[in-house]
Amino acid sequence: MIEALSFEFIQHALIAGILVSFAAGIIGSLIVVNRMVFLAGGMAHASYGGIGMAVYFGFPIFLGASLFAVAAAILIASLTMQTRHRMDTFIGLIWAVGMAIGVIFIDLTPGYNVDMMSYLFGSILAVSTEDIYFMAALLAVIIFVITFWYRDILAVSYDSEYAKLRGVNVKLFYTLILILSALTVVIAIKVVGLILVIAMLTIPVYIAEKLSRSLLSMMIISGFVATLFTLTGLWFSYTYNLTSGASIILISAASLGLFLLLYKGK
Amino acid sequence: MPLQENSHSVIEIKALSFAYDRDMILENINLSVQERDFLAIIGPNGGGKSTLLKLILGLEKAKQGSIKVFGKNPSKNLSLIGYVPQNTNVNTDFPIKVIEVVLMGHVGEKTPLFGYGKDEIACAMGTLSQVGMQEFAQKKIGSLSGGQRQRVMIARALCAHPKILILDEPTSSIDITGQKEIYELLKLLNQNITVIVVSHDISVILEYADKAAHINKRLSYHDISDKKSTFHTHGDEEHFCEIELLQMLGSESCNTCDPSTPSTSSGTEVTEQDSVAEPVEIDEAQWREIK
Repeated sequence: MIEALSFEFIQHALIAGILVSFAAGIIGSLIVVNRMVFLAGGMAHASYGGIGMAVYFGFPIFLGASLFAVAAAILIASLTMQTRHRMDTFIGLIWAVGMAIGVIFIDLTPGYNVDMMSYLFGSILAVSTEDIYFMAALLAVIIFVITFWYRDILAVSYDSEYAKLRGVNVKLFYTLILILSALTVVIAIKVVGLILVIAMLTIPVYIAEKLSRSLLSMMIISGFVATLFTLTGLWFSYTYNLTSGASIILISAASLGLFLLLYKGK
Repeated sequence: MPLQENSHSVIEIKALSFAYDRDMILENINLSVQERDFLAIIGPNGGGKSTLLKLILGLEKAKQGSIKVFGKNPSKNLSLIGYVPQNTNVNTDFPIKVIEVVLMGHVGEKTPLFGYGKDEIACAMGTLSQVGMQEFAQKKIGSLSGGQRQRVMIARALCAHPKILILDEPTSSIDITGQKEIYELLKLLNQNITVIVVSHDISVILEYADKAAHINKRLSYHDISDKKSTFHTHGDEEHFCEIELLQMLGSESCNTCDPSTPSTSSGTEVTEQDSVAEPVEIDEAQWREIK
């Protein structure tokens, strides 16, 4: 195991795993308390449209997926601002339409040079240096936003009607949370793949929720728990030669089961 | 009922009408709330109580007529109104400490770059002790009972030092003892600030409120500060039930004394009774408001 650390791709995988885990812990907490888990799943699948377009037009796939996911987030935000109870319909729509766009664009691309499976189930062992810069930059933005606007984000998440009365720009922060979620989903695709993203955003958060009394401690605990799961999953996948994304998710789920047993026993 | 023009009026509503789409919700409402009033707003479901609250809070804009809070448009004077919303039992899983909920009362005012200021925390602790909840400051909000949570919401509203405290169905999901405690607290607060309560709960009107406004599209206003002369009976043996009481408040004058006035339809009042049994109700418009 130790000699594996000398490989550059393993180092990249570890750094990417830690960066993405903290982003997923922080944003996953916001997604869970705002009851937007289904929405995050929708954005993850919709971003496949961006991947397909990026492959077809030949620009960086991360960029394509990010732009597409952010566009989907803004679209969902504007559609659901007034009629939140119809959110599930719009999410289902964007979920399927995004994927369909991706599939069509990949059909249209001459030749089949990209391994599309890696986007569905993750490819953390193929993280490039640019990917790591992108992930680090996003994590920095997330921490910056949470640090300076924690109170507003807390108010909007806990009681948006009251926040509006106290003069908080609810629409702005709602959209901001969605955009950060979209970007986090995109970087998490690299680690666990778009199909498994939801689990990464929710399992650590669910454990953290039981252990914390405030949103801030929930975010921090989620970040560490997610990191633990990601690194254990990576080790597991390396040792037994299994798909990394699926290994991370199964390690997380097994840990959750164990945690709930112990937590109930207390 | 005639309006009392008074220099101490805190809310002035004149000839206000409001409609969602084409359905008239409120029609020609006139209401003047005086300083240190304890006003109960009652009426059947769908009668326009919540809409009137939203108009006073500036969440909806008046289409006809005017609403002035301390002489200005409601949205200009938001900090003077403390609001305690209905349904404080939703979102109880949310990981948030009691003190953080109370500090939310400060959101939007001048705050430090990040975190909470010492003076803000001191102020929040002060309002928590005002409602008798200071030892719960570090507890998770979900671990509190319905009545305790309601106190925390009142503390949050008091955090901004409002001149008017508005509560929407404050006791709808609290047990009887808890309800009484909440009203005793409101009575205490009423020594310094104006209290407006929207409620199904008739006992408020009988015991605590000194003014009552019955809203069913139109508004009828009653000064009930002198309980004996308002809720009079016509013989020692006579008493009235809650339905009769609501009818009395819903009509312009006392039916029993003045037989020439036709009684208001009792159908709506029965609906009112039915709804008391349901603790949590949200109409569609409110759902849209909930983020």
